[in-house]
Amino acid sequence: MNSYETQKTRYWLRDAARLLKNSFGSLLSREFLTVFIPLLILWEVLPRCGVVPRTLVPTPVDVGAAFWDMLIHKGLALHFALSMGRFGLGMLLAIVLAIPIGVLMGWNVFIRKHSLPFFQLLSPVPPPAWVPMTIIVLGVGLPMQTFLIFLGAFYPILFNTYQAVKDTDPRYLASARVFGASELTLILHIYFWHSFGAIIMSIKTGIAMGLVMLIIAEMHGGRSGIGYLLVEAKEFFQIPNMAVCMIVLGFAGWFLIEILKFVELKLAVWKSGR
Amino acid sequence: MIEAKHISKFFSIVNDDRTAEGFYALQSVSLSIAAGKIVSLLGPSGCGKSTFLEILGGLQAPSEGEVYINGVKVLEPLPSSRREMEIYRRKYRFLSPLVNGIFRNRPKHDIAMILQDYAVFPWMTALQNVTFTLKLRGIPRHEREAVAIRHLNRVGLGASLNKYPSQLSGGMRQRLALARALSVGPRIILMDEPFAAVDALTRERLQEDLLELLQSSGITIVLVTHDVEEAVYLSDEILVFSPSPGTVRNHLTIDIPRPRRRSDPELVRLQERILKLFQYDSEHASDYSI
Repeated sequence: MNSYETQKTRYWLRDAARLLKNSFGSLLSREFLTVFIPLLILWEVLPRCGVVPRTLVPTPVDVGAAFWDMLIHKGLALHFALSMGRFGLGMLLAIVLAIPIGVLMGWNVFIRKHSLPFFQLLSPVPPPAWVPMTIIVLGVGLPMQTFLIFLGAFYPILFNTYQAVKDTDPRYLASARVFGASELTLILHIYFWHSFGAIIMSIKTGIAMGLVMLIIAEMHGGRSGIGYLLVEAKEFFQIPNMAVCMIVLGFAGWFLIEILKFVELKLAVWKSGR
Repeated sequence: MIEAKHISKFFSIVNDDRTAEGFYALQSVSLSIAAGKIVSLLGPSGCGKSTFLEILGGLQAPSEGEVYINGVKVLEPLPSSRREMEIYRRKYRFLSPLVNGIFRNRPKHDIAMILQDYAVFPWMTALQNVTFTLKLRGIPRHEREAVAIRHLNRVGLGASLNKYPSQLSGGMRQRLALARALSVGPRIILMDEPFAAVDALTRERLQEDLLELLQSSGITIVLVTHDVEEAVYLSDEILVFSPSPGTVRNHLTIDIPRPRRRSDPELVRLQERILKLFQYDSEHASDYSI
């Protein structure tokens, strides 16, 4: 390894450390723990004292035991990895399609007038309503799951990107145009960066919708993934297992958003001074 | 050399009760600005001077009239009849007439512009702001940085190359805008109230720096301002605008050699003369309203 590569690795490690510090730091902060630990104790004590029925409300210890059990015997890690793989594929598709279309619609009135009504008509259809037709057309499997996740994340990203690009401050455009900027340069250097914060925000919304669609897709057929584990737990009335699935999903969503926050922090350096 | 012939700008509004109303922001403004001069467009707010500057720079099309920069027409005027409007709409249905090109950066005229509150790009550092502008003018990549640093040093930003505009003070941001404009080596710079947003002390400093930077460079400056003192101190010529409709009401030439003193009695007398013009305007206006 030459020195340049060493330095690069070091940067990566430093970034990863910062990400972990930024994300888990807020969970482990004293302020949050003063709220969280009493809640946890309350959650443990109330079912044990019989205030709420213990069969319906598993205590944290029960949930922890179920988590360990699922990890060892049910391959929770593999199910989780599969879910995240599908989710990543669907999100990638949504980002790759929604951002360019949104930027084009925000940039040009001609394109906007020809395409926006189409998306505006399609977007109010709740994504879960697409499930039956998707299953018939694409069958049960990866294509259907990817498509449904894509569908959930596509519209929030599209509309927010379009709106932000459309609202780009005309002064910036004017001053670049006077110096001779072509439209391509404007899109790459002005429109995109001016709406960067809004685009990241829209991806965050997209993640939330994408997770909803991930679970719905996995609940409808399929023999793997967190959604499948949830349905299976329901069949056998294993409430602690359901709680484990929910907590895992919550953590996944939270961490993905933390990653995005970090990306924004890294790329939108100009905002940190404000 | 800038020539404007009978520029008018008409704005129309449709009221709630669906009646249309319109007013002339500018009416038949003609002027010709010789190369190398500093010319101020002076007037109270709302007299159409910023609109006029944007028409000069090709950011807005006039309703009537034409602007020529070094003999080249800037933007064709907007059509006046419904039939012509249809043809115009069809012609520009995909791209507006302001567009330089889709893929190639190509300035239409050799001008630079400093807009109100600077419009330096907040997502680029001071250095990137200038190199980006140089890129738009087709300066090869390996030369950009050296040219940019030279111009940033000239305006005194040599120590803040890698700072973002949000980390700079108002005066420094203004200097950055100035460096950006100067770096492309334009023959004409259009400025829209460039010193309005900074405090009085910084403003005087910036005015002196501007004069120093321009010394014997032969750059033509068109400066929009509402500050009489600034106009008198900086310019070779002053065009006094009067509002509703915006017209040029006086054309003053100032022959006092530079460097000028702000307290020069001749300058002060000139200032008073201009202020009296404005006073006359406002009294006149109040007569109408009563």
